[in-house]
Amino acid sequence: MRGLVRDTILLVIATLVLGTAANLVPGRQLAWWGKGFEPPRAGVDFNFLDPGSADAMRTSLPGVVVLDTRSATEFGAGHVAGAEEISYTELQAELTPERLGRLRSAGAIIICGASDETDVEQLLAQELHRRGLPPPYVLIGGFLGWQGSGLPVDGGAR
Amino acid sequence: MRWLRNPWLHRLLGLVLGGIFLYAAHAKIFDPRPLVTIIWNYSILPPGPVNLMAIYMPWMELVVGIALVTGFKRRGAALCSTGLLIAFMVALGINAVRGINVACGCFSTSAEDVSNAWLLILRDLPMLLAALVMLVFPPPAEGPGAPTPPPSRA
Repeated sequence: MRGLVRDTILLVIATLVLGTAANLVPGRQLAWWGKGFEPPRAGVDFNFLDPGSADAMRTSLPGVVVLDTRSATEFGAGHVAGAEEISYTELQAELTPERLGRLRSAGAIIICGASDETDVEQLLAQELHRRGLPPPYVLIGGFLGWQGSGLPVDGGAR
Repeated sequence: MRWLRNPWLHRLLGLVLGGIFLYAAHAKIFDPRPLVTIIWNYSILPPGPVNLMAIYMPWMELVVGIALVTGFKRRGAALCSTGLLIAFMVALGINAVRGINVACGCFSTSAEDVSNAWLLILRDLPMLLAALVMLVFPPPAEGPGAPTPPPSRA
């Protein structure tokens, strides 16, 4: 029994040492305590944009990037004209320094999602804002809202 | 019940359960930030400790996974994994009773991976059983009553 407790304590200490060391690495630090999680806030981390205004912004401003957070299948079946696919699941791999640099220099970022209850587009917007980008725009109604407004679509669903 | 103490069974269970923990850790260990969102969405912890959970949980999964796969401190790892799995199941159970299907954060950090909480609990049960077998029925050489080797005469 004593050996079991000793082994368990050893494993817990290894966890604490590794976790602490990893969280001290610059660029991946999380607040230890107190700040906690702050849900994405409209007007701070992102702004809502209706499909008509989003289309006007996309066609009139140079360098507007539209990011689509839906699955690859949904994206393939149809997406906002000129949109880029981005996976929130693979965000670490997706947000390469080159892509972040390109997003930083974009005129504006519009995020289009499935507009379901998970609000992934808002979480992505918050993450981009945390990484120093201006608050992106989240498309109200997501792709269905865009499609329903009869705005230009690339891919299968027209 | 002697077969439950078979060392080969323990090696096999360690490999399988350890492999699952390693796979679970890999998705979260490189960037714990999306995990903060997932733990928050469970609506169980106050804001303070949410970040601590996101910082240390993937490393606990990694350490436990390595220990189970290699057999180094396997019973200690079995105790840790029992604790982890019970904690996961309680958290899922609370949300299942609330009628909320959360993104479990088990093998991905996507807030979109929403699954039926009851099914997730059912999926965790065999893993908990494997951990309990390794914890409660150690092979004779590792058990609490294991014979101690005679002292050397040198």
